[in-house]
Amino acid sequence: MNADVHLSRIADGDPNAFAAWLSSTEHEVRVSLRVFASVVDTEAVLQEALLRVWQAAPRIVPDGKPNALLRFAVRTARNTAISELRRRRSSVLDPEAFERAADAASVEALAETPDVLLRDATRECVDRLPPKPREAMVARLEGSGIVADELLAERLSMRKNTFLQNVTRAKRALLDCLREKGIVFAWATDLLANANANANADDDGEQATGAQT
Amino acid sequence: MTPEEKAALVCEVASAYRETRTTGEIAWSPAFHDLDDGGRREAFEETLTHRRLEAATSADGLSGTARAVLAKIRGNPPQTERQGNPR
Repeated sequence: MNADVHLSRIADGDPNAFAAWLSSTEHEVRVSLRVFASVVDTEAVLQEALLRVWQAAPRIVPDGKPNALLRFAVRTARNTAISELRRRRSSVLDPEAFERAADAASVEALAETPDVLLRDATRECVDRLPPKPREAMVARLEGSGIVADELLAERLSMRKNTFLQNVTRAKRALLDCLREKGIVFAWATDLLANANANANADDDGEQATGAQT
Repeated sequence: MTPEEKAALVCEVASAYRETRTTGEIAWSPAFHDLDDGGRREAFEETLTHRRLEAATSADGLSGTARAVLAKIRGNPPQTERQGNPR
């Protein structure tokens, strides 16, 4: 798929066209920032970069290859991350090394558009969650990006930490539920294994504690 | 830091919500600074999952990141104050 089908309308200042472009390319741009994950807040960097892409879109001239705007976005995201590193004068980092590593990342595949199977399965799994984690997860899913966690928690009469714990529990249960349905996010496999290992360790700890008392 | 405290920080960093400073700069999540390198990498991977789930369950197919960016483009800044609470 060539997401440049939206480019002319984006260049004309159509936010709906930019929304359509984002829904098919955001994941790819984000993944290109993985190499910076431990040194910059990639979410903030990504949002900053996407705003720059929107502003620069009218000046993008397609070069005949597919996904010119996506390639520009990946470069912009990387440059934004490197600028942040330089601005913060990180003493333990070599921005050029990150630049070389980011160069090695390729833009090969676009994220699939949200598919009906995943949407239906996710909604079904959300419905199966216990009440509090479900409330928190639904609030986060609907409010993420536009409402601060403090406000989401307040609306549910939860403390922020309780809210975050409920979202974490809900997310683990959701991934388990989706896996039962045969849906596995490749990037989440290791996380799930770690989470289950931690949960088992916690269970063992609780059992051990229980046995002692 | 307990595993629960770390998980809460990871969850907070994995949110798409970021404050916008008066200069227009998008602020980093304060929780990012409280995590070590491993926690930050974990938060990044969590972010991939959260954004995919958000896009899958929203009517318009947009993630929280896309919503945040589009809100700024359309002149509707994210809700940072209690006055922004529609209730």
